[in-house]
Amino acid sequence: MSQETHAEERELTMSRAMVGAIAHEMREDDEVFVMGEDIADYGGIFDSTEGLLEEFGHDRIMDVPISETSFIGAGVGAAQAGMRPIVELMFADFFGVAMDQIYNNMAKNTYMSGGSVSVPMVLMTAVGGTYNDAAQHSQTLYGTFAHLPGMKVVVPSNAYDAKGLMHNAIRDDDPVVYMFHKRLMGLGWMPAPEGPKTGVPDEPYAIPFGEADVKREGEDATVVTLGLHVHRALEAAEELAAEGIDAEVIDLRTLVPLDTDAVIESVRKTGRLVVVDEDYRSFGVTGEIVARTTEEALGDLHAVRRVAMPDVPIPYARPLENEVNPGVEDVADAVRSVQE
Amino acid sequence: MSDETVAVDSADYWPEGSEDVDEGIVANWFVRAGTRVEEGETLCEMQVEKVSVDVPAPAGGEVSEILVDEGDDFTRGDPLARIRSA
Repeated sequence: MSQETHAEERELTMSRAMVGAIAHEMREDDEVFVMGEDIADYGGIFDSTEGLLEEFGHDRIMDVPISETSFIGAGVGAAQAGMRPIVELMFADFFGVAMDQIYNNMAKNTYMSGGSVSVPMVLMTAVGGTYNDAAQHSQTLYGTFAHLPGMKVVVPSNAYDAKGLMHNAIRDDDPVVYMFHKRLMGLGWMPAPEGPKTGVPDEPYAIPFGEADVKREGEDATVVTLGLHVHRALEAAEELAAEGIDAEVIDLRTLVPLDTDAVIESVRKTGRLVVVDEDYRSFGVTGEIVARTTEEALGDLHAVRRVAMPDVPIPYARPLENEVNPGVEDVADAVRSVQE
Repeated sequence: MSDETVAVDSADYWPEGSEDVDEGIVANWFVRAGTRVEEGETLCEMQVEKVSVDVPAPAGGEVSEILVDEGDDFTRGDPLARIRSA
């Protein structure tokens, strides 16, 4: 269930929660290390490694040259040799220059070696738009990474989940892609919405993969989403509650493995499904969730809507980006439309 | 024993090299009014130009008041919060 924050509890941003998990695992296991562009002296351009250099030094917190192929390849090799690398791909959009390392080596070497090696590697990457960074720095690409068998795919929406999922990602013996939304990190220059900053226990805890979280319970519609749009869906649900529409909001938390059961269970209750995604509409998360639901619960399903990024390059101009990126009103309208 | 209120003075944590700047913003609060804190615990993150600084509690006690909201500007020397030490 959702983590509620009380006045007496200290809160953390999502970035600090992630760093806390990485630091803990690094203290526990000498094989854990971090490498990526600007992750050491700068602390990660989205604060994902802020403060780690001071504690662990340059041997374990390594800045690398701008060659995603070489350093992701080095991560795969280190993982196969028994280390537990955390490799940051600065923007998910840049995966293309290292596609062979990610798609063919990281994802498949466990299988191709007949299980003689495993790849316990975390590929940590920043995703998402809403800050006018144009078509090559604003994508989520959730579907691109979740599509390929072999990698687990994690998308946290708040600090509590980010920490528990990071602990689990580092301990997992399979390759994990950990996709954090820039807007949720708590950066001074990119203020987060209400919600991602939560109470976070000091002690380590692992959130298992494949367990969606019902962030809000409701009877009238099931809203399935992830990442930043969990918070937009929750805001829409509050608005709808004032109109007497009671929406349930499911945060998938991991795409691979996907908690289909949680979605089906909710749809059997509400009969109405709205899937909200910041990735492109076609061949993506929204289509996958709708397909699985129709396969398993067609008889319970009365209405379906998808709310996603249209199939266009994400515009730089603020009014245009705001137009294509699903907003609170888009979610609310979709939930209203399935009530009819 | 008497209660004493201690102000969290932004000037005390001003980053080195930013002496010629007088404006900052509070990027994140990690406590709310009512949170109990230990001396030295991080209360908030302030930013001066693009330099982030963690602001520690100058005394232990209860955060009685947050004076600059998250995302808001302040001027060097403005108190950011008050702590009631017991």
